Amino acid sequence: MKQGYKQRTGRKFIGGYRPRIDGLEKASGNVKFADDITLKTNYPDMLYAKVLRSPYAHARIRSMDIRKAEKLSGVIAILTYTDPEVASLRATNAGWTDGVDTVSYDRMMWRHFRDRRVLGDHACWATDEVGAVVAAETEEIAEEALKLIDVDWEVLPFVLDPLLAMKPGAPVIHPEISQTNILPKESVGGEDVFVNRGDIDKSFEEADVIVEDTSIHHNATQASLDNWCCLVDWKKDKLTVRSNSYETDQSRMHISQMLDIPVHKVRVISSYVGGQFGRGDTGDQPFFLFTALLSKKTGRPVKFKHTRRESFHDSRQPAIYLGKMGAKKDGTITSMYFKSIGNAGAYADHTMFALKFAPTEITEVAFAHIPNIRMESYGVYTNKLPACMMRGVGNSQFNLIFGHVVDMLAEKLEMDPIDLAIKNFGHEWGSRPDKSLVAVLNQGAAKIGWREKRHKPGVYKGTQKRGVGFSFHPAWHAEWQETRRGEIQVGITLNTDCTVMLEAPTVETGTGSNTCNMLGCAEALGFLGIEIEDINWSPVVDTETSMKDCVQTDSSVSYLQSEVIAHAARDLKNRLIEKAALVLKEKQEDLDISDGRVLSKNSVGMTVKELMNCGDLAPLVIRKSKLPNNEKTGVPYIATFSEVEVNTDTGKVTILKIVVVNDCGTVMYASGAEAQQIGGQCIGVGEALTEEIIYDEETGIPLNFNFIDYKIPTMADMPDIDPVLLEVWKGAGEYGACGIGEGTVTCTPRSVLNAIYNAIGVRVNDIPVKPEKVLRALGKA
Amino acid sequence: MSRKENIIRIKVNQKWCEFSLGQDITPNMTLSFLLREKLGLTGLKVSCDEGACGACTVLLDGKAVLSCLTLAVSVHGHEITTIEGLAENDPVVKAFSEQCEPGYGTALQCGFCTPGFVMSTKALLNEKPKPSLSEVKEALSGHICRCGCYAGIAKAVLRAGEKMEAGGEKS
Repeated sequence: MKQGYKQRTGRKFIGGYRPRIDGLEKASGNVKFADDITLKTNYPDMLYAKVLRSPYAHARIRSMDIRKAEKLSGVIAILTYTDPEVASLRATNAGWTDGVDTVSYDRMMWRHFRDRRVLGDHACWATDEVGAVVAAETEEIAEEALKLIDVDWEVLPFVLDPLLAMKPGAPVIHPEISQTNILPKESVGGEDVFVNRGDIDKSFEEADVIVEDTSIHHNATQASLDNWCCLVDWKKDKLTVRSNSYETDQSRMHISQMLDIPVHKVRVISSYVGGQFGRGDTGDQPFFLFTALLSKKTGRPVKFKHTRRESFHDSRQPAIYLGKMGAKKDGTITSMYFKSIGNAGAYADHTMFALKFAPTEITEVAFAHIPNIRMESYGVYTNKLPACMMRGVGNSQFNLIFGHVVDMLAEKLEMDPIDLAIKNFGHEWGSRPDKSLVAVLNQGAAKIGWREKRHKPGVYKGTQKRGVGFSFHPAWHAEWQETRRGEIQVGITLNTDCTVMLEAPTVETGTGSNTCNMLGCAEALGFLGIEIEDINWSPVVDTETSMKDCVQTDSSVSYLQSEVIAHAARDLKNRLIEKAALVLKEKQEDLDISDGRVLSKNSVGMTVKELMNCGDLAPLVIRKSKLPNNEKTGVPYIATFSEVEVNTDTGKVTILKIVVVNDCGTVMYASGAEAQQIGGQCIGVGEALTEEIIYDEETGIPLNFNFIDYKIPTMADMPDIDPVLLEVWKGAGEYGACGIGEGTVTCTPRSVLNAIYNAIGVRVNDIPVKPEKVLRALGKA
Repeated sequence: MSRKENIIRIKVNQKWCEFSLGQDITPNMTLSFLLREKLGLTGLKVSCDEGACGACTVLLDGKAVLSCLTLAVSVHGHEITTIEGLAENDPVVKAFSEQCEPGYGTALQCGFCTPGFVMSTKALLNEKPKPSLSEVKEALSGHICRCGCYAGIAKAVLRAGEKMEAGGEKS
């Protein structure tokens, strides 16, 4: 049996190895997802919506004739781009989510490129949802009706490659936004050169050693199994939405403002979601709005659901990164230059978040001691699948080049890259060597067998060559980084029998934060002497009855709510002491509560249960709103080490082992954290070796929008994974934890690529590393 | 066609159900649609709807089948078991829900794919009560868990097999 991690602070509930709170409900198939709840048997008068999808990579609708479709039996309503309720909708984008908090139309991100029309006439990628949407008695009829719509398409020239799209003369995709395909400078993202520290040109001139290369990150998708699904019921002035979106409060704001309905007349309900991984920021999917308009038009509930093929509707930004580093002979890094060209796809969404925001954060933390840095980025429109948020947004792409140049520089300096990293990287608020960085690198090295297995690149004999590699990154989910979320809201209700109703609203997407909340609550209510079983947490978030949900982004719901729960628990204890003082006729300062008993300096006291049964039998209700703690505590580190075997005859790469190391500050829930570390590799390994959306270059049509040709690793493809949890760094607040979910994915592709280089002695810098790329690098193809 | 021929009989979770052809059931209706939409058995999930993800797996006469690729009419006279048909204390369900052995994470996160994995595991353990790790991987490689809980799932399957053997239970 493997050893668990060593807890820094002994706690009864937090940090334990235990089953998830929803384990049995999920394993027995009893959990209801949006598609399970919105069956026709539950909504007998429900209609099904299907939307027209562009058959062309770039086209405009000249005109449309829906008469034949309208006549089809079972078709109840059709909305098109010319209907006033559709045409009057304001242009939007994914910036509603602002990464983490609730924003309004006026305060959304990327206001300079609101490039999305809801059901517009301009298709910017093949399968773009435009022009018309049908509501019918069955899905089949709705699909049939779409085929009967006569569309006069003006087929426009298209471009897929961002480098070609940047050139003069390329087809301009959003002339309403910009006369070129390069995204305009924006107040949030700033200048093209968005970091310019020191004197980069002079520092490269003076450097003893310089390395430079490129990395290319291809188009991967989140691939949640739970395809997009919503049911909208708009009756009179009230609109109710059930969906598998990961946010409710923000969805409510979006629908309210886009459809001009008062906030209290929009009710959004989400419960369990079958995987999120960053998919679907508010505003990047038009279906809430057109489904709502269909419901209004028909007076009936309308369900819209993507098939799995249609659910390929969101992705990670592909990016081409150039990286250059200069150093002194002793390994002191003096200069860094990074330039990126990001393929935004058809709509900008959060492309500039990935290209600029994420790397900027790193310059402020890990690169704090590097005197000269320049970074420049260009987001470029093309006619590909739009790219938005995906687990590890921006950091995954940046790590691919960062870990690359670190590895190259170490080789040129004849240093171990671990030593090079420890010498140079840390945090502006801490001293070097950075304890967290040292810990993750040393632990990872020990677990993979770094010192024994590492060899000079390519010296391995035979055709089955083995190598090891690693990459590391600062985590980006400390509590101070979450202050822009605004207040986190929780509630604790103590019933008369001492059971607890916990309100910690967040949509359960599988991350395990629900179990973290329960553990945090039981820990904070330790004075009641209760167990997990005494607490109820509702998996349903309903904007009509819930407080604001803590949005499942930034990997940090695992601790953000627990931090506020700790404060709410203190308030509850105070309320109980107040009540006890009245009942016992004693002074509050003479009373305390421990292990379910009211302790008194003067009397035998009483149990809390007895106390709660005095008087009116009303439960005690505490509700608490609190900003995340902004104490500047720096960030912890993450590292991934890989061992691979490369067959130099076939080009096939086999990953033998992956060690995933996360310094968590405090582990909130060990089994859940390990599940994130291990589980993240399904995406990390997929992106490294197999996952890529492939387009027909002649037509711009994507060819593998299915789980047969878009290769997601299965159990048979996964290597042995060693999850290593550490508690070295200490954050602020009650627990000092940080988020780890996205950080488990970030370093995997680069660690695999460095291991491949160690094995074969030539670099493949373009992921996914398919066999043909290895053979080409070896000069064999 | 006689009246009798117009009736499709399927034993679902130990109970015979009758469907009238053309009304309750159409020739092109998939088993997954029938089970979910007509009988409300929503434990099985339809994700890819083309046999690539395994989420819709049910048992047909004790063997795992993809219900999205099975026509409802084709199982006339046969026995179907969905996850709702398993006993409350089913050892496989229990093992999946309880997995927390250090080093392997949990056997599920979002839980969307889990019923499919559970049903394939039932079929595997029926055939082979004590599979090796590589046999587990082979048997479950038709399933996608995007949350990536493969290590925890493998542990749960091995654990369920051990428990069933120790307790003399059949899957």
